Amino acid sequence: MKRKRSFSLFLSALLSAALLITACTGQQANTGDPQNAKNDSEQIVLKMGYYSDPPTQKKMEELLAKFMEKHPNIKITTETGPHAQFFQKLNTQIAGGNAPDLWLSDGVKVFEFAERGAVKDLRELIEKDLSKEEYYGMDANKGPGGEVWGVPQGIQIGVLYYNKALFDKAGLKYPDANWTWDQVKEAAELMTIDASGKNAKDPSFDPNKVSEYGFTIFSSPVGVSRGWFPLMKTFGGGVLDSSLQKAVLDTPENKQAIEWMVDGMKRGIFPDPVDLQSFQDPFKPFLSGVSGMQIDIYAARVKMREAGLNFDVAPIPAGPGGKRFAPSIVNSWVISKTADEKKTQAAWEWIKYWATDDEAQREWASLGEAIPVKKKVAEEVLTSDTSLNAKVFLDSMEFAGSLDANAVFGEWRKAFDESMFPAFSGEESVEQGLKKANEAVQKVLDGFYKK
Amino acid sequence: MSIRKILAYAAIGISSAIMFIPFLTALFNSLKTVGQFNKYPPELFPDPIKWSNYSEVWELANFSTYTLNSLTVSVLSILGAILSSSMVAYAFARLQFPFRDTLFMIVLGTMMIPGVVTIIPQFIIFKQLGMLDTLMPLWVLEWLGQPFGIFLMRQAFLGIPREYEEAAKIDGCNPFQIYWRVALPMCKPSLATLAIFTFMAKWNEILAPVIYITTREKYTLPVGILSLKGQWTGGNDQYLVAGALISLIPILIVFLIAEKYFVEGARSSGLK
Repeated sequence: MKRKRSFSLFLSALLSAALLITACTGQQANTGDPQNAKNDSEQIVLKMGYYSDPPTQKKMEELLAKFMEKHPNIKITTETGPHAQFFQKLNTQIAGGNAPDLWLSDGVKVFEFAERGAVKDLRELIEKDLSKEEYYGMDANKGPGGEVWGVPQGIQIGVLYYNKALFDKAGLKYPDANWTWDQVKEAAELMTIDASGKNAKDPSFDPNKVSEYGFTIFSSPVGVSRGWFPLMKTFGGGVLDSSLQKAVLDTPENKQAIEWMVDGMKRGIFPDPVDLQSFQDPFKPFLSGVSGMQIDIYAARVKMREAGLNFDVAPIPAGPGGKRFAPSIVNSWVISKTADEKKTQAAWEWIKYWATDDEAQREWASLGEAIPVKKKVAEEVLTSDTSLNAKVFLDSMEFAGSLDANAVFGEWRKAFDESMFPAFSGEESVEQGLKKANEAVQKVLDGFYKK
Repeated sequence: MSIRKILAYAAIGISSAIMFIPFLTALFNSLKTVGQFNKYPPELFPDPIKWSNYSEVWELANFSTYTLNSLTVSVLSILGAILSSSMVAYAFARLQFPFRDTLFMIVLGTMMIPGVVTIIPQFIIFKQLGMLDTLMPLWVLEWLGQPFGIFLMRQAFLGIPREYEEAAKIDGCNPFQIYWRVALPMCKPSLATLAIFTFMAKWNEILAPVIYITTREKYTLPVGILSLKGQWTGGNDQYLVAGALISLIPILIVFLIAEKYFVEGARSSGLK
């Protein structure tokens, strides 16, 4: 009797599992998979992917609802997630032939998708419908053959953030558009304070017990947009040549720039990579009010305000030869290569709505997350922000440049970070570090472009 | 109480206190405001205590739905892992068939393949089965045998004296009945270990749900918590910690309930 009971129990467990499997599969067939939703011949169903956090997701859904109200023949279903996970999933989807019809690409990833054949050339559509002069970043996604792989969605630009309270405490003048890196270091020396309250100019200053830093300039992992890269550019150096396929790291200009940075780290006026690790979050020194200055992008204002900082911005200082540079990231809409003609047209309608509709641009700008791509709206939004010298962001557009992003941006950046870590930590000379980094970066480039 | 005992308890007490510090720090951090969270040098105690972080995170991340999803995935995975792995393991331990040991080595060999390598082929298979954006890809594989579970259960079956099974055979049991009625009940500690390992792996899993689930309502708990993360420089960290602490509770409950078996099972399989 008992034997029979346990056996039937086992069988029923198996059966219920089988039932569940069929139930779940059946459910799937009814869910809004765009491929299956062609019942309504008039309506085009688009699958759109974008990365988000809760506030950006909410706003995006609102804008989508408004768009769909204006375009009843287009239905957009969305896929979203936090930045890293979104792209992890997207890469799997592209490889598995299940990519969204259009997605929001991080500015530095557009060429990664383009040169792997995942997105469409939008040149003709742009020429037909958008006048280039009205927007920022229209050339950012231009390929060597004149292709244009994406339309700007929002602009990030790097500037020098400074903590007004720490400047006031040290009795210093705030940075302005004429500042040079030497002035940054000079001010940083006066603002850096050790545990006994002495500043870095004092001969008895202890660089191993710093309680307030003058300037956070990042080595890795965010140094490409907020540290070594813009610094090297203003010194006249850089990572890749204009073909974006050759490493040019091993130059006197780069050496001079990195030595300037390492000198500050050795003297304790800039936190070195190990100091930053001890903060857990590299942004923490500035956010917690113990760093006088930091290079950061437009979006950083939101978090700084939340943290209650008293801060303002100035353009990134000029290099020794007066050269200026502001790192810019143009996050962009791209359309999947697998989207058919109808879906491409529908996706283009959304992109056009995003770029041309002033109200949509204003709504997105209200999050403070990115500079609007439409110049007119950007000026209107930034000039109305009186809490800080917001015009600096627009002025910096004059000398904005890309992060040498190409198809292997993520890989070459990793190679650079790994090769340069000993140099930034003072365990190796800058010259040696740059030589090693040049070889490592070139190897990554050759691995992709010379195949 | 002897001095030795007092010393032993003192040593245990001190080391548990040290182990407890990270939990305590997390608890305090989960009760801070954004400003206080970012303070340097960090302050241990939250001031003021922001209890509402917990209710806010519960609302923000739709926790009840995510918890239910995580539970569904975990329970179905455990059932699958226990049933399928123990069946396969019993065959490897007791039945005679051609290439038995070679097949077992192959099963063990699959443990060496890094998970990331199989993501894309698995994605394509689940896509063709129409299982994308359902919870199925997260648990269905457990019903097809799990190499670690097979190894663990095989060790357990090998440890049972053959006499029990021979006696059952004389009483007229067929191989399935011997497995189900004699061998399996004698391996409860290993089953509990397998259940806990599977539960912890599934409860904390992040990559698979991120890849297979699209609809927000189908997120599992870790993905739900992660979706609170700010897009740029950090952000919402106090919520992340509060969410992580909430999601820890079920693991603690399961561990406390099954602790006896867990320790025993891990010891008998030489896995400590």
